[in-house]
Amino acid sequence: MIIEMKKFGSILSSRQSGKEALAAFSPNINSMSNEEKIYINFDGLDVFSPSWGDEFLTALHKKFGDRLILKGSNNGSVNASIKMLEEANNIKFNIQ
Amino acid sequence: MITNRLKINEAADFLNISVGTLRRWDDNGKLKSLREKEEGHRYYGISQLEEFQLASCVSLARKWTKNKIGVKPNSLFYCSDSSVFQGRLYKLRAALSKNQEIESFFSLLISVVGEIGDNSFAHNLGNWPDIIGIFFAYDVKKKVIVLADRGQGVLATLKRVKPDLDNDSDALHVAFTEVISGRAPESRGNGLKYIREVTENNPISLSFQSGGAEINLKKGRVLKIKKVKDIIRGCLAIIKF
Repeated sequence: MIIEMKKFGSILSSRQSGKEALAAFSPNINSMSNEEKIYINFDGLDVFSPSWGDEFLTALHKKFGDRLILKGSNNGSVNASIKMLEEANNIKFNIQ
Repeated sequence: MITNRLKINEAADFLNISVGTLRRWDDNGKLKSLREKEEGHRYYGISQLEEFQLASCVSLARKWTKNKIGVKPNSLFYCSDSSVFQGRLYKLRAALSKNQEIESFFSLLISVVGEIGDNSFAHNLGNWPDIIGIFFAYDVKKKVIVLADRGQGVLATLKRVKPDLDNDSDALHVAFTEVISGRAPESRGNGLKYIREVTENNPISLSFQSGGAEINLKKGRVLKIKKVKDIIRGCLAIIKF
């Protein structure tokens, strides 16, 4: 499954909207097979923040571990947020 | 004929100052009135007043957080809830997107503003002492963005998880350096650390005051926290880029 982050908005910046995004998307995730991987694509996104990411990406990482794959991005806020989430939660995202 | 004009008493209400102050500003040139005749009544254009307010957004925000009695800010700067703030964040993005000078750190700058504003709402939800919501203004030409709230402040929110904290300076230090949150047991609290990381590595400076302490963050400068005389209610963030 590929999740295109731009479909949630071009500025992803609050905990509340991160939480809502996860809740809205959960039915799609719950219908996945046990082996399926989730690819996160940040293309087309303008702004990303650790608060939004903590509600969405950290939650997905807890559930899927390395089956959650973040596609590399050249957006500064995406990269800085991912770095912060890894440090704050003591986790390592699978980035390709 | 001057259109969209306000009389001096209406303009004073608009700016939340006295008529006497407006007269003085007119006389000393700080904010000139519009007159049809030299000795005629003083009038002010609405757009003129809005521009004046934007130009002084930092001092307005500071005054707003210092006031003992809370009043809602002018609607130009007032975000009553997080959805209003999000909408204005999109406007800021649009206003800054034309500036090629900041292209390399544009997304980081907007994310810092978003984190600070979101922090105000997240940490004060259901606990605002008087005015609900935040002050949010920016002057793209002067490259300054200001956010303020009359919330509980960093010390009060952190004391819930760190009861030993007893002053604003230590609270700011913890907030910007430790992964901890005033909303425990939820594992939150990385927003301000993120902001520190971004400001220390990009041409974005931040002055962040809570209560009687202020932290200054800037690329190439060691984290500095100082006590300030003018104690404010809540938090005041001034971002320059």
